[in-house]
Amino acid sequence: MRAVWVAALLVAVTACGALFTEATPDADLFDAPLDGLSATELGAFARGDAEFARPFSVREGLGPIFNDLSCAACHSGDGRGRPDNVLTRIGSPADGFLAPLGGPQIQSRAIPGASPEVVPMGVALSLRLPPPVFGVGLIEAVPEAALLALADSADTNRDGISGRPNWVVPADYVPGVASARRIGRFGRKGQTATLLEQTVEAYHQDMGITTEQRPNDNLHPDDPASAADGASDPEIPAATVAAVVAYLRMLAPPDPSAETPDVVRGRTLFSQAGCSACHVPTLTSGDAPIAALRGRAVTLYSDLLLHDMGPRLADLRPDGSATGTEWKTPPLWGLRLMSRFLNGQAFLLHDGRARSIAEAIEWHGGEADRARAHWLGLSPADQRALLAFVGSR
Amino acid sequence: MAGRYLQATSILLGWCVLGAPVHAQVTDTTRADTVARPFVRGGVYDKPFLTRLGGRSVLGGYAEAQARYERVDGIREQLGFEARRFNLFANARVSDFVRLGAELEVEDGGREISLEFAAIDVRVHAAFTLRAGMLLSPIGRFNLAHDSPLNEFTDRPLVSTQLLGVALSEPGVGAFGQFRTSGAGRITYEAYATNGFHDGLILDSPDGTRVARGTDNCEDNNATPSFVGRLAWSAGPAWELGISAHVGPYNTYRVDGAPIDRARQVNIWALDAEGTFAGITASGEAAVVDVDVPESMRGVFATRQAGAFIDLVRPFGRGWVRTMPASAFALKARWDLVDFDRALTGDSRQQFSAGVNFRPTQDTALKLDFVRGRARDRFNNASDHAFALFSIATYF
Repeated sequence: MRAVWVAALLVAVTACGALFTEATPDADLFDAPLDGLSATELGAFARGDAEFARPFSVREGLGPIFNDLSCAACHSGDGRGRPDNVLTRIGSPADGFLAPLGGPQIQSRAIPGASPEVVPMGVALSLRLPPPVFGVGLIEAVPEAALLALADSADTNRDGISGRPNWVVPADYVPGVASARRIGRFGRKGQTATLLEQTVEAYHQDMGITTEQRPNDNLHPDDPASAADGASDPEIPAATVAAVVAYLRMLAPPDPSAETPDVVRGRTLFSQAGCSACHVPTLTSGDAPIAALRGRAVTLYSDLLLHDMGPRLADLRPDGSATGTEWKTPPLWGLRLMSRFLNGQAFLLHDGRARSIAEAIEWHGGEADRARAHWLGLSPADQRALLAFVGSR
Repeated sequence: MAGRYLQATSILLGWCVLGAPVHAQVTDTTRADTVARPFVRGGVYDKPFLTRLGGRSVLGGYAEAQARYERVDGIREQLGFEARRFNLFANARVSDFVRLGAELEVEDGGREISLEFAAIDVRVHAAFTLRAGMLLSPIGRFNLAHDSPLNEFTDRPLVSTQLLGVALSEPGVGAFGQFRTSGAGRITYEAYATNGFHDGLILDSPDGTRVARGTDNCEDNNATPSFVGRLAWSAGPAWELGISAHVGPYNTYRVDGAPIDRARQVNIWALDAEGTFAGITASGEAAVVDVDVPESMRGVFATRQAGAFIDLVRPFGRGWVRTMPASAFALKARWDLVDFDRALTGDSRQQFSAGVNFRPTQDTALKLDFVRGRARDRFNNASDHAFALFSIATYF
């Protein structure tokens, strides 16, 4: 009789848990904190999370020209965006990103009284899907020496792969030696070296929010006097920027799914096809401002280097030292959860054109021609195994 | 000797008990207000409510307290208590033709205080009463009758709170009245010109278009009135069908007479119904909001929103509690939905609520609610929520 009562109690407790909603395991989220954070760091993580999700109203400083209302509005669940919030870039460093025409980014929305930008005639466009933001603290913590060790810009080993770093000069508000070059790691072409710069520029370019680092409103180039938002500048304090940067640093990448025979076989095929020459399975983080970031295996499946991906993927828009045909190897971690945060869909590659992993592989070219040819030569069963592996990351 | 002493004591006590009131009447200071010539004519002690209308002004109100347990995606968001509302009613029958009603709302322990309603009614005929002041906008029936002791659920419907901004009140002037139809049937109407909404529904809203952010337009921002009205028909007291609309511009489109934009409309249409069938009272409301959003803001600010709810309530157990013969229980269920952007698959919220109420008398309600629902963000990602709510609300 006692067993019946215990069983009934267990059923009731279980049902109650389901009735009152159940938490998704951290490993299945894009916005979970890293393991090993202190209570203070977790508090900072929560503050940054709230700021990352915070949408801005016009009276709070949105605009005058902007793309969206918040960080989270572009990064679904802290993952990637989708084609309807793709960003449009024009120009290159050599031409000053066509700043008089509204570069480097087109802001397609504007507050009342201001005009949104339109894409100028006769310029090359580069559409950029917002990338996932989890794991970026670990990416930032990978030492430059580790990336340089993977680089082979002259293809001395004659494997057809010639990864090279995108050397960029950080903005002057980034702490460090002024004008010192650093390896860019963020952005589709690795055009930004630090999370601070990535965050400040996203506030300024994507939302029109001024910061202490960028205290002047981003005005329409043809109509600078038409309207300004009513908020005094800077519209957010340095503490808010710092909170978001800290939050991004502490975001954990999701765990890969459990190993299956297909996944195990797919891993071997992935390596045999040469995919792992660019999608390097593991890097190791070095020194970092947060203890939980130091000396960790970073299983991102990327070398964070630039590769010529051929004419079909070229946007013909240089960025930093990246040419118009080069792209940074995108990390593969989190792919198993991608569609969960995109309403069951997949949007891959820099502009979201590929709707499946297989399609993304088939878009590869340039340095990835051999890998693509290998993929096309695989049996259907082997292709399924390789896709199972990539889709399990 | 002792007898005389007792007799004297009795006379003294009798004088104290019986004589004192007589003496007090003679020295009643309240009569000072009725002097023929006030110290200041029309001054603080020469007000009609003191001199002529005493007894015709009444105060009342309602209070509501809640205990809330809320979980979102398995994470506890709230386990606490709220002194949700303490609302004061005032009503004065100035004359057979003139009446004033008012409601001062104090929410969340005094953090929000607002004059929700304060209207002067001048009755010309049952079919025509002039009303002016701070009006409860007749957009849907729920906005007109949303008192917590009256509402069977702890929370107000999503369409009311998140789409229409109930309690929605605005300064205005207009009329209401009723016409008898056959038998117990009637048609009622309310029609007012009001200040309408202001552009805060876009400019103050970080979450996209939110009508509730454009309320409290006490100084009309565009010098152009809006119009709100409701027409209701019922064949008897058991049911009613209403249709209502609120139309008008919300933006500041002229500055010092110079046009800076075109007049942009916010139009709200609502349909409400209530009826009792087989002992179950069903009520519901559906609303559509159309907003002329500046072209440069579209995509993130919705141009069309919609929402609806249906309540079912079945009373039972009248007099089951023997010490409270007027008491009754009620089973209740609600489905409600709000879609913040009809152009998107996501950006919506829907939930189902169920529970049981106990009313010691009809003026007091003890409510126990369970709410389970799902919100979807603009990417259509789902987020589940569940609430267990207990509240007490009473008129006084």
